[in-house]
Amino acid sequence: MSTRRNIGKKERFFDYTLLFVVIFLSLFGLIMIYSSSSVTSGDTYLGRQLLTTSLGMGALFAVIILRPYHFYGRFAYLGLIGSVVVLMLLLTPLGITRNGATRWLNLGALSFQPAELCKLGMILYLAVTFDKLGKRVSDIKLVLMHVVLPTVIMAGLIYVISSNLSSAIIVVLIAFCMMFVSTPGYRKYLLIILAAAVILVAVVFFIDRQGSAGGFRGMRILAWLHPEQYSDTSAYQTVQGLYAIGSGGITGKGLGQGMQKLGYIPEAQNDMIFSIICEELGLFGAIVIIALFGILIWRCIFIASNARDRFGALLVVGVMSHIAIQVFLNIAVVTNMIPNTGISLPFISYGGTSVVFLLAEVGLVLNVARNIELKDMVQK
Amino acid sequence: MEHDTNKNEMRPKKRQTSLDKFGKNKFTIKMKKKLVALGFLVLLAFVGLVVRLVFLVRDNGDSYKKQVLSQREYASAVIPYKRGSIIDCNGTVLAASEKVYNVIIDSKAILVKEEYLEPTVSAVSSVFGVDAKELREYITSHPTSQYYVCKRKQSYDAMNAFEMLASGENGVNVKGVWFETEYQRSYPQGSLACDVIGFTTGMDGDGMYGLEQFYNDVLSGKNGREYGYLDEDLNLERTTVAAENGYTLVTTVDANIQSIVERHLKKFNDTYANAHREGLGAYNTGCIIMNPNSGEVLAMASYPNYDLNTPYDLSSVYTQEQIEEMTQEEYTTELNALWKNFCITSTFEPGSTGKPFTVATGLETGAMNGGETYYCPGYLTIGDYQIHCHNRLGDGQVGVEKAISSSCNVALMQMAQSIGKKNFLKYSKAFNFGLKTNIDLSGEARTESLVFNEKTMFETELATASFGQGYNVTMIQLISAYCSLINGGNYYQPHVVKQILNSDGAVVKNIEPRLLKQTISESTSDAVRAYCNAVVEDGTGKAAKPTGYTMGGKTGTAEMVPRNQGNYVVSFIGYVPADNPEVVIYVVVDRANQAKQDNSKLASVLVHDIMTEVLPYMGINMTEVVTDAEKEKVQESQTGYLYEEKEAAEREAAEREAAEREAAEREAAENGNGNNGTTQEQPKREVKIDPETGYAIDPLTHELLDPETGEAIDPNSSFMERINPEE
Repeated sequence: MSTRRNIGKKERFFDYTLLFVVIFLSLFGLIMIYSSSSVTSGDTYLGRQLLTTSLGMGALFAVIILRPYHFYGRFAYLGLIGSVVVLMLLLTPLGITRNGATRWLNLGALSFQPAELCKLGMILYLAVTFDKLGKRVSDIKLVLMHVVLPTVIMAGLIYVISSNLSSAIIVVLIAFCMMFVSTPGYRKYLLIILAAAVILVAVVFFIDRQGSAGGFRGMRILAWLHPEQYSDTSAYQTVQGLYAIGSGGITGKGLGQGMQKLGYIPEAQNDMIFSIICEELGLFGAIVIIALFGILIWRCIFIASNARDRFGALLVVGVMSHIAIQVFLNIAVVTNMIPNTGISLPFISYGGTSVVFLLAEVGLVLNVARNIELKDMVQK
Repeated sequence: MEHDTNKNEMRPKKRQTSLDKFGKNKFTIKMKKKLVALGFLVLLAFVGLVVRLVFLVRDNGDSYKKQVLSQREYASAVIPYKRGSIIDCNGTVLAASEKVYNVIIDSKAILVKEEYLEPTVSAVSSVFGVDAKELREYITSHPTSQYYVCKRKQSYDAMNAFEMLASGENGVNVKGVWFETEYQRSYPQGSLACDVIGFTTGMDGDGMYGLEQFYNDVLSGKNGREYGYLDEDLNLERTTVAAENGYTLVTTVDANIQSIVERHLKKFNDTYANAHREGLGAYNTGCIIMNPNSGEVLAMASYPNYDLNTPYDLSSVYTQEQIEEMTQEEYTTELNALWKNFCITSTFEPGSTGKPFTVATGLETGAMNGGETYYCPGYLTIGDYQIHCHNRLGDGQVGVEKAISSSCNVALMQMAQSIGKKNFLKYSKAFNFGLKTNIDLSGEARTESLVFNEKTMFETELATASFGQGYNVTMIQLISAYCSLINGGNYYQPHVVKQILNSDGAVVKNIEPRLLKQTISESTSDAVRAYCNAVVEDGTGKAAKPTGYTMGGKTGTAEMVPRNQGNYVVSFIGYVPADNPEVVIYVVVDRANQAKQDNSKLASVLVHDIMTEVLPYMGINMTEVVTDAEKEKVQESQTGYLYEEKEAAEREAAEREAAEREAAEREAAENGNGNNGTTQEQPKREVKIDPETGYAIDPLTHELLDPETGEAIDPNSSFMERINPEE
């Protein structure tokens, strides 16, 4: 411990770039939440988000300062089991049902989304597991048992208990990214991706041919394929979002000057917030935000590459994947590249649980960065 | 990196079934490469997003901008227009729309706080008389309702009272009540000129009958709109497109003349109601007063009438029990009968009022020169029929004037024979019989199929048509044609509206008298007028003459189809003054409530009563010497319409009427005696007197006759008989 501290004192590395990007995104998120919700709801949403962002910032610094990241690795199994238990709590009267889905736990004044905890638990567990696998990461049996099986169980539980398909998909994709980095070989991953693509295309084609099959998820696929036909019903939100993006032009209407948040895009401060960014700040603002996420990803790759060990590196890869996947899926939904599904934009969308856990995860990344010995850093 | 990897590889290999202790393994170079690959994929994905965004903005930017702008309208409300008024020629309001208020309940707003409910419910129920329990129930059972019309058509006063209450000290907790404006049609004169005006129905307020229907488009305006939207700078822009109010109709009707007419029609009915049978004084009584020199209708009324404010109420005609006994269908039929304008919708055979037209045709076509004389033995045999004169005993030798003044059917039939079918029909058409007058009122009857044409008119038809039987007319047709007979031959289109004003009172359109055609020459007109003057002077229409005025006219007694039922339409059409007519009046009594209906005096007396009041009101000067006694009576009657207290006036008028009628009858009797010697040069035929009854006996049919007039005693006796009824 003492040596580490000494090392830390003398040659401590700290990724200020990443920290500032995250702080900037969080503050920008607060501004955009205020802009998109103030007309209809006053400062209610800003107030709540301010509270949770502060909480998340506290968590971020606590995670950095408390202990070196190995400390958290000890809680990997406990965390995984704990997150499943919390997820199960949704089945008790503590669960809050909104719009037909039970995704929140009632914690008195606050509500809590267990799926976010599950994502963190999963990242921690997989980082530890891949580290422990050591050289045997190429052992398919071991990988199947220690990685694929827990992932599938976790994703299945999330989907079944909270009927939250997007969180389940995110968990699977995070695991897939971590596995891709950890295990050797490219061809099998290429095959998996191709197979998944073929299945997806087939499903979409089938639903489109059928016209109206498959409950609300089928409807969302149809709305995605033919937004004009469903612009008054299931594609309403999507089409209004596209109007916002298109009408923003290159430089936008100016912060706070958007029209679409005035009731046309329901709950604009949530998943559709990126369309408001496009409307008010234009293509320019949108590209800057995407670029900031790009910097964030780049810093994560840098930190992971220089991490002291595999555990630290995979922790960073997991968090990075988590952020990258959510950013991509959210913007893809807003621009109608994929069917509508509820995925928030990291650090910017309104949502307490998400922001607290994301900031905590960034705390983990910064913790890993802080423990890089400067002498180990590679000149690239 | 190299160093790390080497270090890792140099480690001793341990085969373990369990996993390694964590934190001991390195992030290998291969993993780093794959991480870079993953980063590259993420970068690719992000670039894909940017490309998508760029395309969205480039390809759809403009159209989406428009979409967003077009969606911006945020609120809109209809501003109702005000339907135009209908006023008489002096500006008296006959129909007007008043602003009324609908009470709207917003349950959601009331239920925001518990303490709002009770004060609001009690305020609404106390001011508008709504049942508090029902209202409370509605609000609590429809908590999300924001628009519930609790009470319709409340007055401004009631609305104001509520607003005062709500803004007062006790009204702090009165919430969620607001008002919606609307217009309600009201007819301040009640039933006055109901046939002319018509009424409006339902929520849309579309006109039904009369002017309301005919001029519906003119009276209707256009709803306005109030809407707001957010402009580029998010400012709320309010735009109001004002409602366009409807136009006001200025009618030619004079409410004073109209009320005189209606008062007398009512009195007539009150006098004869239940006299011979259960019911009104006559099935229908109609009266039109027109200016013959412009076609302007000064008054148009019929009885029974109804209150325009309550058009669905039959109580003016039937008792409550009778109404309750009616089936829905009967009720509707009765309502329609009540609503229709008798003066333009009902058709009937004109009877002797058609005679001046025959004479005019004869003179105009040259078939007659006015110097002819005809012999009337009391009947004429035409084809298979014997067609009687009113005087079954025969008028003897009659000239043209006498033929009109004593209404001799036989003379007229002979005239028609000399005119011939072709010319008779030609002039009938010239007088507009069978054609609509196109008066600006809705519901005018089509009579095309009710008049003769080349194919339907034969010898008998021509004969009966000469004295106004066999074809049908409407009142408005007859009076319009008659005006042309006596005004020099000018046929004016009858009309009721003379001016259209916009809501600010500016003139939109003046409707000038419309001269449609010259029916007859001026000289013919002069001759016809002379004959008609004789009718009032010393003929059948003496009873119609108002004291102090010269008058011309013609009585009419028409037997209805089916014949021999004793059903008659009696009428009188006349004009004042006799030499230069300024006003024409036409009164029709349809089946008077009398045992013997064929008494044209019923109509003549009504004309006398009406004209006695109307003429002084119109400022038409007396032209004849009037005795002091007569003057006194007339003065009494002239003040009748001035009295505000109607009841007093009516009582007075009733007394006056009785006295006057007596005087008129006396006068008529005297005149009759005086003229007897000069006009009846031809000796009367020998008449057998029935010894039992003292009545004369018709030598032809052996019916009993009145020895004075020669008319049949039997009320069911018809003017025509088949010679051999058995065949």
